Amino acid sequence: MSETTIARRAVRLEATNHEGSFLGKNVSPAKFEAGKEAGFAFADILFAIDLNNEIVLGDAFPEWRGNLYDIQMIPDLATLVEWKPGLDAVIGDYWLKDGTPVPICPRNLVRKLVARLADLGYDATVAVEIEATLFEESVHEARARGYRDLTPLGGSTGSTYHLARSSDWIAYMEAVVERLDRVGITWEAWTDEAAPGQTELNLAPTDPVRLADGWARTRQVMREVAFELGHTVSFMAKPTAGFGQGAHINISLQSDGVNRFFDEDGPSDLMRHAVGGLLATMAGNTAIALPQITSYRRLVDLTGPPTTISWGVNNKTAAVRAITGHPKYSRLEYRLPGADVNPYLALAGVLAGVLAGIERQIEPPAEVTDMAWCLPDDIGVERIPDTMSKAGAALAADPLLRAYLGDAFVDFWVASRRWEWMEFHTKGGDPFAELSAWESQRYFEFP
Amino acid sequence: MAATTTITAPMRQAVPHIAIEDDATPMVRLVGRTLRDAAIAGNAVEVLDRASGTVAVRSHDTPQTATITFLGGTVEVVAGAPAEPDATVVVDLNARFAATQEPRGDGVLAADVLRSLTPPVPHWRDAAARFWEATRQIPGIPDVLDVHAVVPDGVERARFGEGATSYGITGPADLLAGVFSGADDFLVSLSAGLQVQGTLSQLSVMTAASWKVRFDV
Repeated sequence: MSETTIARRAVRLEATNHEGSFLGKNVSPAKFEAGKEAGFAFADILFAIDLNNEIVLGDAFPEWRGNLYDIQMIPDLATLVEWKPGLDAVIGDYWLKDGTPVPICPRNLVRKLVARLADLGYDATVAVEIEATLFEESVHEARARGYRDLTPLGGSTGSTYHLARSSDWIAYMEAVVERLDRVGITWEAWTDEAAPGQTELNLAPTDPVRLADGWARTRQVMREVAFELGHTVSFMAKPTAGFGQGAHINISLQSDGVNRFFDEDGPSDLMRHAVGGLLATMAGNTAIALPQITSYRRLVDLTGPPTTISWGVNNKTAAVRAITGHPKYSRLEYRLPGADVNPYLALAGVLAGVLAGIERQIEPPAEVTDMAWCLPDDIGVERIPDTMSKAGAALAADPLLRAYLGDAFVDFWVASRRWEWMEFHTKGGDPFAELSAWESQRYFEFP
Repeated sequence: MAATTTITAPMRQAVPHIAIEDDATPMVRLVGRTLRDAAIAGNAVEVLDRASGTVAVRSHDTPQTATITFLGGTVEVVAGAPAEPDATVVVDLNARFAATQEPRGDGVLAADVLRSLTPPVPHWRDAAARFWEATRQIPGIPDVLDVHAVVPDGVERARFGEGATSYGITGPADLLAGVFSGADDFLVSLSAGLQVQGTLSQLSVMTAASWKVRFDV
């Protein structure tokens, strides 16, 4: 038995709900030992509360949900780490009592799609660029101000790649990566990003489940470090009325240790079909990749995020950027998700698109070699749905995403987004504001 | 010269066309649906037939706004409010468009709009029948709707549908009429005297059904 186990005073059970909020509970070591194989009971309501703790209504519950039934969270012991002295942490999946996965469990969705890829003989390697904005004020001060009029940490000038950020900003990021090292999350780079106070932290390529675990935990680390240093961090799609923030996902497929997206002459057939699937599902996937009302406020031409359902080789103005010509680094960069996305659902959406493309050999539309923003309406390049209601309708009507993510998930997600849309409009949100107070209150701290 | 009689067909006023914008907000949908119901019911048709006029409708407790534009037989409803409407009304969206402050601008136009937004609710039994008919396609909708309406001299009952799953709704007759016709919000009405009997899942489905009749979503 290791010293870590001996010193353990509690184990934190961790998983995301549908919104991407990191939920769980702390259990005693004895309770953990007793339940680590059979699982721990959680009320199914964790998949039915919104970010204001209201019960999400508007759809027929599946059979596994009732008048607040229990579901089982079974820890994945491969994720057990010492989070800090005395506290271990473990990530789990949600299961039904009959041993089948909860069909809307985000982590189980990723596992299912990874297994489907494996059946085709492929392993996916994925990486993510996490964007977040740091503020000088403590979270208590931020709450008192309604999360408005905060001071960007490190100075209020917008910039990118600057090494001369003030040392408080640098100290924060150094503390974050030191914590990541300690809990076993492999990072590759961090840098100053475009907006005042903004950073980009890149997690190293790995398999999809491990990446999503690391991504969810990295958010937790960044929040905890911010708290300890008396600052605040937000993963809101637009924490201020200015710049937004995204979460680009990079993906490649390997078999027998070889990157199958590589071809000497550009995209391989496999990469091309993956692009075809990603574009065919992009309108519907928007509902997943841009999960909150504020997510859609980022979709402005010439500001960074993609606005068209488009792809191009080395074209960062397109929604899917193909990086080609290198046997190791050939990959696709899926640029749609916002920083507020559920990591597991973001990856599930990407894997679903890739699977659809390669299984059905979907040919992509013509590559966009021009700038993919501000394109004329009549050249055949569709725009990304720019409201939650449009994206929800696209997802509801998407047969591919229904086939790969399942009707249970799609129906649930469409209903939950309709609830979110209704709450925004009828409970104080303002669609004509650049960023309404309702959004700051709801999205600044969570997910 | 033989006497002739001219028979004049009874005057039939055409129902004005109520149009809402694409991807409309809940408030635009609510205003549009209410005006459509008013037109079909023959309520304030002369108002809806106005040749011109722009009225901003504002929620009294949220940022929700909608603009009604009269175009002579067509009425358009869009989100937001123009800088200088002909009239502005501020209303309680959860109290059947009751005005919460004095209208601004053209007082006659404002009064006309408020009248067109407050058609009389149908009898609760008629409203329930139409509600049941309109929501049959919603997944998970119970087979049977069991309604108990509290009236001054007791309780009146009605049952709609046949089958294994049922849902019970009890409340004052006027509140039931409001919920079933879409004039009142179902969830808000639960704290105003409406009582329900069914599962949490059925409450969720009934919420979808109430949105269908209130917002047409």
